[in-house]
Amino acid sequence: MQTEYQTQRLSLRFFMLMLVLFVVQVIYGMILAAQQVDPTLLQGWLNFNVARAEHLNLGIMWIVCGFIGAILFVAPLLAKRELVAPWLIKFLFYAVIGIVIWNFFTQFLAERGIAGWWLGQPWLQQGLEYLEAGRIAGLLILVGFLILAFVVLRTFPRVREWNEVHWGLGLGVGALAVVWVFGLFYVVRLDLQEYFRWFVVHYWVEGVWEVIHISLIGYFLVLMFKADVKSVGFAVFWGIALVWLSGLIGNAHHYFWIGTPEFWQFWGSLFSALEPLPLVFCFWHIYLDAHTNKRPLENAPAFYFLLGSTVLELVGAGILGFVMTFALTNVWSHGTWVTAGHAHLALFGTFGMLGIAAAYYATPILRKVPQFDQRLGKLGFWLVFIGVLGMAFAFAIGGTVQVFVYRILGLDWFGGDVNRAMGTYKVMLPLFGLVLTTGAGVLAYDLLTLGRRVRPQNADVDARPATGWRRPLTGFEAGIWLLLMWLFGTVITLGLLSFNLPHVRVAGDPTLPYVLAGVGYPGLLLVTLLFVWRFLASMEARASAPVMSPLLRVLPAQS
Amino acid sequence: MSCGSGDSSCEKPRRRAALFLLGLMALIFIALSVFSFLPSRGQATPDTVSFGPYQANDGKRVFQAYNCMGCHTMVGNGAYLGPDLTEVYRQAGPAWLAAFLPSAGGWPTEAAVRAQLLDPNQHADTGTDTIDAYLQKYPGAANRIQRRGGGTTLMPNLPLSKDEIGQLIAYLKYTSAMNTEGWPPKIEAGTLDRRLQLAHGTVAVAQVAPAAAATPAPASDPAALGAQLVKDYGCVACHASDDKRLVGPGWGGLYESSVSLADGGKVTADDAYLAESIRQPEAKIVAGYPPGVMPAYDTLLKTDEVNAIVAYLHTLEKQ
Repeated sequence: MQTEYQTQRLSLRFFMLMLVLFVVQVIYGMILAAQQVDPTLLQGWLNFNVARAEHLNLGIMWIVCGFIGAILFVAPLLAKRELVAPWLIKFLFYAVIGIVIWNFFTQFLAERGIAGWWLGQPWLQQGLEYLEAGRIAGLLILVGFLILAFVVLRTFPRVREWNEVHWGLGLGVGALAVVWVFGLFYVVRLDLQEYFRWFVVHYWVEGVWEVIHISLIGYFLVLMFKADVKSVGFAVFWGIALVWLSGLIGNAHHYFWIGTPEFWQFWGSLFSALEPLPLVFCFWHIYLDAHTNKRPLENAPAFYFLLGSTVLELVGAGILGFVMTFALTNVWSHGTWVTAGHAHLALFGTFGMLGIAAAYYATPILRKVPQFDQRLGKLGFWLVFIGVLGMAFAFAIGGTVQVFVYRILGLDWFGGDVNRAMGTYKVMLPLFGLVLTTGAGVLAYDLLTLGRRVRPQNADVDARPATGWRRPLTGFEAGIWLLLMWLFGTVITLGLLSFNLPHVRVAGDPTLPYVLAGVGYPGLLLVTLLFVWRFLASMEARASAPVMSPLLRVLPAQS
Repeated sequence: MSCGSGDSSCEKPRRRAALFLLGLMALIFIALSVFSFLPSRGQATPDTVSFGPYQANDGKRVFQAYNCMGCHTMVGNGAYLGPDLTEVYRQAGPAWLAAFLPSAGGWPTEAAVRAQLLDPNQHADTGTDTIDAYLQKYPGAANRIQRRGGGTTLMPNLPLSKDEIGQLIAYLKYTSAMNTEGWPPKIEAGTLDRRLQLAHGTVAVAQVAPAAAATPAPASDPAALGAQLVKDYGCVACHASDDKRLVGPGWGGLYESSVSLADGGKVTADDAYLAESIRQPEAKIVAGYPPGVMPAYDTLLKTDEVNAIVAYLHTLEKQ
């Protein structure tokens, strides 16, 4: 495939910026992991709260950069014309860099307690999780979103000609700006502040990012596998419909304990239990669409990350979100490391990997190096994938211990009691973090220098037969894998639920929740790892497919 | 199937149905939201809560300005490095918080909390004036003093001013007053000793022996007595024994040195100055340090105890 429109090239700079921010964010993650082991590390120079604010904000910024890059790459293809006002996009690029640097430095003011109060608003930084940016940065970010929405919507054809992917992206870029507004005013009451903070965080992730994610995944499948636009559009429509139908009231799962009434526990438990539905749907569709033709993977790293994104969306956001979505399980997981396992898999897995997938798809095309060496990209994928699964394991099991010591036994001395019990898992975190960091470095290096290394001549020739672990993946087998994931998800849910038993809560015996967590989490994460390995092995084995069934290659995409 | 994928005759009604459902859900959500914040719910609001002259409204701003949520959770939201702060006021009370917050790097001792109880705001807020009554009312403070008192924490010292400390206490008083629907869950696993046993297998002996309870044998050497006193009263949470700044000025080499004051004057740190700075810290504030952070020890320490501390300060050299 070649670059069809000149303005698609504008996406490249956002992908490169994304990689730089990704690496810096991961380095901050390593600092945080080390500070979890020794909280006095760097104290006074870089306090944990500042490092965490940088970690979260950089994470959001690079995910958004990945979105912008991907959207700019596909928008001309969807519109069948050049982007309007490319100068605005160039301005946006430098504005993003400016905002990131500004916010990077203003976060340090938290160590001196300076928020920059003026007209009742914190202008420099505001100390709210995920929304740490002060009003100055917040308003500039809003302008940035408006620029993006303007360019995309003006580039798109008239609404009458939109298909589902247009709708998904159009609604996505518009809502990106609208939802952000809820974070732009100071709220006096704590309960109301948290209510609106989750408007931004929840509706961004589960209302807007998810919509952009589904649309982009769908369109990349069209581009990569020549999947039928109509069939993908059908999936995109129902994906978005289910996301919104479940996620709108699903936001209630954030309103269990923030001072809002008890009735939210009913609505939150009911509707957010439905939130995995679109993710299962999306998961199933990547299986179907990846199998619409049997050609070998042209761009393996791009598909690796696309698959990783969809699978981790199901496992991290879907299943690990499901386990803690009921009031009776959330009462224990809330405010512990258990939630951090879910957050890392869901945010990095779903959205981060999508950005990297888009970068891997677009960069060889924009740099005109279709024969780039794909080995480093694959290696990078396995490193970040294993790294983030391992970190999720450390968070989840460490969090389970934390629930018992902190919430059941009520020992609130972190230095003396809680950290002592969580010690092993606190150490495990930076170890897996190091694996992920290495992977991030490999990916950044590979993508920044993509095209300098050419694929070896014999790389495509894979003589091994497509049997055993490499045999074609059937729908039945994929269904079994999916069932296994949910089976372990159920075990995890029961583990969290078992904290309610008098035997655990009153008698203080943690055996049951520990055993269930000890089976559920490693089971789920291992099944995830094996499934992705199995899926990719079957895809890789297609290299030898032309010999086996040349007929399939000329069949139409959809029968 | 008549309604297969991409069949346009079926798509339109489906889309309308989905949109209708979405609108219905939005209505439900809005209705629930309105009910959540009606005054009839009786939820605590920060504009009605104060601690002495300090308003919870202002405390919330301090809480955000220092990004407390970046390490702690509040109503369970935030980071998981430190404990949840929703109920810390209810557990430990305002005097313990007032003793802890200025020097968060060290755990307050019983005497440090006692020093705070002299503050009329504390008296008005807690309704107690003796340390025993206070610890009775706030068992979380007793527990913290007994197990941690005098030790170092994992938290950095923050440059909180006197007003900011009062405002934070007011804010934490507000969050303790909030109805959070039973979260965090009640502890039902029995006594602290039993729970410690369950957590660690054995009760660590070192933690049971409280530093504050061990009454120091009256030392014959005044400097040794002074060294014991500064530990018991938690002075070392703020003052280093070398010339480093923790929260207040370091003590190393302080004696007989020249001290610049906030009002522009200069004094020599002789016995009279040191004793006055212990009894009435507000009388002379060292340049570069905020006023009002250190409590007055005038009524807490006897004359020979002040002299013993001064004698101890004589022994500390600049490093």
